[in-house]
Amino acid sequence: MNGHSNGKVNDTVEEFHRNNSFNGLVIDTKKSAEHRQHGTSREEDADECRLPALEAAYASILRELGEDAGRQGLLRTPLRAAKAMQFLTKGYHETIEDILNNAIFDEDHDEMVIVKNIDVFSLCEHHLVPFFGKVHIGYIPNKKVVGLSKLARIVEIFSRRLQVQERLTKQIAVGISQALEPKGVAVVIEAAHMCMIMRGVQKMNSRTVTSTMLGVYLEDPKTREEFLSLSKSA
Amino acid sequence: MEHSEPTEQADGGSALNGHFDRTGKRPVPGGSGCASAAASAGAPQPPRAEPGAPRPVMESWREERTRSVEDNQTSLPSLAAAYTTILRGLGEDPQRQGLLKTPWRAATAMQFFTKGYQEKIIDVLNDAIFDEDHDEMVIVKDIDMFSMCEHHLVPIFGRVHIGYLPNKRVLGLSKLARIVEIYSRRLQVQERLTKQIAVAITEALKPTGVGVVIEATHMCMVMRGVQKMNSKTVTSTMLGVFREDPKTRDEFLALIRS
Repeated sequence: MNGHSNGKVNDTVEEFHRNNSFNGLVIDTKKSAEHRQHGTSREEDADECRLPALEAAYASILRELGEDAGRQGLLRTPLRAAKAMQFLTKGYHETIEDILNNAIFDEDHDEMVIVKNIDVFSLCEHHLVPFFGKVHIGYIPNKKVVGLSKLARIVEIFSRRLQVQERLTKQIAVGISQALEPKGVAVVIEAAHMCMIMRGVQKMNSRTVTSTMLGVYLEDPKTREEFLSLSKSA
Repeated sequence: MEHSEPTEQADGGSALNGHFDRTGKRPVPGGSGCASAAASAGAPQPPRAEPGAPRPVMESWREERTRSVEDNQTSLPSLAAAYTTILRGLGEDPQRQGLLKTPWRAATAMQFFTKGYQEKIIDVLNDAIFDEDHDEMVIVKDIDMFSMCEHHLVPIFGRVHIGYLPNKRVLGLSKLARIVEIYSRRLQVQERLTKQIAVAITEALKPTGVGVVIEATHMCMVMRGVQKMNSKTVTSTMLGVFREDPKTRDEFLALIRS
């Protein structure tokens, strides 16, 4: 379930965070940042059978909110909402291996590769309300480069889940570093959280920025700076 | 078709977000156009056309709430149970730390997103209508609006621009934004939302004309389905002189664009 109860990634993460400045984060990582590499918590075929239960839940929600579930606009809403929710959490039945298998190439390139402005949409696991924004990913290959769209697909796998932005950032970074074993990976996410905009404090223009720097991005400030300035250019 | 008073419709159908019978058919009195606000299809209750009987004014003000603050408390457990089912159905583990209280948070959040069902226009507007000898356009623009798509239960957000030409009566400016809040915090369709706002202002103030423009992003189109990130939907309702006189309409549209 979204990176829990799986100790495999821990060593990799700790290796990269030897500098201790992220010690607090490492402790947290033991509980939450691992991704499931080999199994999925949801099978794609099971989606159809789970639909009725989801539909019933949504129908009950409509009633409890004081709406008339029989009116024309709402007649098929439980079904549509259930399918929409399944789509928005489809990351649960995808693994990195499935999408990356063929697209890793041996190239003698050791300069930074950046893919920026990847639109990301996820669901806040606390309120089940969307948050969305942009991801910028950079990595320095170590003899192996990855097909560029695969970076965006990795983002999709982890973002289409019930997430916390911090964990999402880390999972993307760790996923890339495990697949490619590059010299360093950097991921920055800037997102707007509807749970803060539509409700609660209701701050329209607030944005949350999280980042994960692994490998040479963590150790060398100049490399980090280069990534940050290249990913910010208009 | 007989129009009964909204309060007499036993099942409260009239109050449900502008629909007042379960079949969804909305009888439209008389003419074909929407020249008068009250005849528009999205209006909560068109006035009776019977001659001699006094025309009921401000029908929508008498809408019953379909939900009260106390109802919120009592429905919370079943809403939370529904959300727990949803979490399980999606393949998640509702017992993990991040999700432990999510059903309650999600339920409360959803109740907040539909709090328009607990509010009536009349409560919000009662005191803030003033007699002013002003007959020039009044515009409140860039009102942030957040609603929920009634088809997918996914957010819609955007901006509302409202303009009206007073006819001896003006409205407190924040009340325009409050009208937007009441109607937008519901399960909505953008077309209906636009019309409801326009009709509410018309019924409250009887102005010479009202114009409402909404420009919004629908997450159901952006996050799923066609997935068009930059698409925006624009709807507008022009009533009274805004509809009849193109120059007035142009002035309104130019001012909201600047």
